[in-house]
Amino acid sequence: MSSAARIPAPEKLRRPKTKGAVSSRDDSTRSLKRFVHQVRDVAVGDETAFDRGVLTVGRAASTLFESPALAGVRLTWASPGDPVRIVKLLDAVEPRCKEGGGIFPGFVGPPEQQGVGTTHVLSGAAVVTAGFLPRAQEAVVDMAGPAQPLSFLGATHNLVVEFTPAADADWEDVDAALRVGALKLAEHLAAAATSAPPDAAEELAGLGAPGSSELPRVAAVTNLQTQGKFKDVFVYGTSFSAEPPRLIDPNELEDGAVVSGQYGHPALKNPTYVHQNHPIAAALRRRHGRDLHFAGLVICPEPVDQTGKERASADVAALCRDAGFDAVIITKEGGGNADADVSLKMDALEQMGISAIGLFAEMAGADGSAPPLVIAPANATAMVSTGNYDHRVELPAVERALGGEDFSLLDVPATAELSVPVAVVYGSLSPLGIGRLTCREAA
Amino acid sequence: MTRVVHYVNQFFAGLGGEDQAGIAPSLKEGAVGPGRRLAQLLGDDAEIVATVYCGDDYAASVEGAAAQILALVMSYEPDVLIAGPAFGSGRYGLACARLGAAADAAGLPVVVAMHEDNPGLDEAGTIPVVASGATSREMRASLDRLGAAARKVIAGDALTSDDGRIGRAARATTVAETTAAERAVDLVLTRLAGDRDATEIPLPRFDRVMPAQPIEDPATATVALVTEGAVVPNGNPDGLESARATRWLRYPIDEVASLASGDYVSVHGGFSTSWANEDPCRILPLDVARELEQEGAIGKLHAAYLVTAGNGTSVANARRFGIEWAAELRKAGVQAAVLTST
Repeated sequence: MSSAARIPAPEKLRRPKTKGAVSSRDDSTRSLKRFVHQVRDVAVGDETAFDRGVLTVGRAASTLFESPALAGVRLTWASPGDPVRIVKLLDAVEPRCKEGGGIFPGFVGPPEQQGVGTTHVLSGAAVVTAGFLPRAQEAVVDMAGPAQPLSFLGATHNLVVEFTPAADADWEDVDAALRVGALKLAEHLAAAATSAPPDAAEELAGLGAPGSSELPRVAAVTNLQTQGKFKDVFVYGTSFSAEPPRLIDPNELEDGAVVSGQYGHPALKNPTYVHQNHPIAAALRRRHGRDLHFAGLVICPEPVDQTGKERASADVAALCRDAGFDAVIITKEGGGNADADVSLKMDALEQMGISAIGLFAEMAGADGSAPPLVIAPANATAMVSTGNYDHRVELPAVERALGGEDFSLLDVPATAELSVPVAVVYGSLSPLGIGRLTCREAA
Repeated sequence: MTRVVHYVNQFFAGLGGEDQAGIAPSLKEGAVGPGRRLAQLLGDDAEIVATVYCGDDYAASVEGAAAQILALVMSYEPDVLIAGPAFGSGRYGLACARLGAAADAAGLPVVVAMHEDNPGLDEAGTIPVVASGATSREMRASLDRLGAAARKVIAGDALTSDDGRIGRAARATTVAETTAAERAVDLVLTRLAGDRDATEIPLPRFDRVMPAQPIEDPATATVALVTEGAVVPNGNPDGLESARATRWLRYPIDEVASLASGDYVSVHGGFSTSWANEDPCRILPLDVARELEQEGAIGKLHAAYLVTAGNGTSVANARRFGIEWAAELRKAGVQAAVLTST
């Protein structure tokens, strides 16, 4: 399914006006200005600065991580083309700040609704935390060589944060200090660019902008893997695990309303960077007003038990019906159990007459011949593949590694030649669709 | 003259049913059982020179069984191997699939027949498999199809769905021109325009397992404990994977009263193991099972427990573990099993 010729002209998609279909945001005039500064090179210096595309991190930036839980951190750039590997990656954050403050609400800014005003974006850069935490699964990114294009971090200048926990610190406190430090560092870097002329200035309308109501109303449902300590996702600074599904403006995500603390399944996680650059929202926005009406974004927790998953699916389906959506794109985070969170929602939505599309990574064995999904929808059928979890990739030895001395999955030095399933390459099978991997029947 | 070796299980070789399911691989000269009809269907230019057979439990649960069976097959220097039809029988299907895959890897042309819901189909990889009926009541039609397919394989032709070919074509991971998010939006618009069939992933077929009848008298039954909770002796001596498990392990418990903290740990990668490691019986309930054994509520506990890690495990591997566990427990005379999941 890639042929553009199969996509009908917009007029064929105009929907009959339905009675009672209302969006909670149709009267919204909220919008967000994005000033995008492209990072073309990076350096370390006395002061943090941004000058004509060169981002310099000041030596004092590590003080942003001062915490009783951390003995210290080390900041190192890893840029595209460098003979460097990053292992044990935790979160990745795009440097951003807001004029007047408020970025990363609940962690850096106060937990107040964001998504309006002016936001500065350092495009082409990321703050990446890397090191051992309990429950975190081993992950890898190569900044050069054949595996570089597999991760979105292969294309960004990454400021890697390695850390030493304080003696006797609780791991949860280490995790929390690291998260807040990384978000502060992301704001600190972007703040250096606020007086520079941007490479691009964009105005992102809030959802429900008028003038396109006859186009099909398409929405996104974004499942967040909220499954306990070190596998949690935060909305406005608070764990989303016990929350009901709810609508959120994509512009709030632009400002860091959703922050990841989820360190399982390296290929199948949605780091903060991916929420900030929500790929489904971006793709829907590009077609908005032309082929479709981008009608909403729903975030939903992924409970661990079947009853919770069924209840969340019913709640999401009802919410989408009440919002008058015609079609929904559903994404997950995590491994096999999270397939159920997508499949149940697809079926519940299709039963209500709402077209449902799910994104899945396949788990089809190294040769790609085994059944691809753990839990498939029973009635819905439209699925996008983000690649095969078990597909093997060969990573040649590298000169230098950041994030740890060893690659714990294989118990070898972190710089060694690796033969691994693509499942360990950070973000490679992105459930939110930031990557280009897919599966096709072999000829 | 094309030399053909035919593989069947112990039942179709005429040795008996479940009571003979543990027998080791062996062979008979010429065609046996369904092979006689198959020989006619192959015509005058091909001959079944030997029939190799093996017990279902042996084939499904003994490590290296496929290699042993293949060695017997190869001793007759065949041009082609035919296996089955295995109908819906899981262990038989698994044996045919594994033998077929091993023969294919060794360069021997092969054709296998089983029902499309047979869980063994997952292990067949991309070797030629043709559909058979679900049970041996459909033997005749199943052999007709297998015979016709075998003639094509002997002639060097590829099998297609017109020949009743089933199983998965391998799906290769490739790089698309656009991101998955952009393709999802394309797919939404395609579906809204009325195309209900468009998808990048064909819907997989799942079989539904009917639970067995309750055992009549638990007080006389041997009961096994099995788990996907990755509980292993401390230090994980056999290196069980914490995720994407490709194998399972067996540990003796006949002299163990309960799983003491520190002696056993869970290496499962999908949940926080701190509560499991505080008391491993929370995952593998040996403590209460021993109480039931002492009370006489159950006959006795099986002398070993079986364990794997259910975390990112492929359906194919999970099905295989299930078939192998069933074969192993049946061979050991176990009537019931408690499977704890996490």
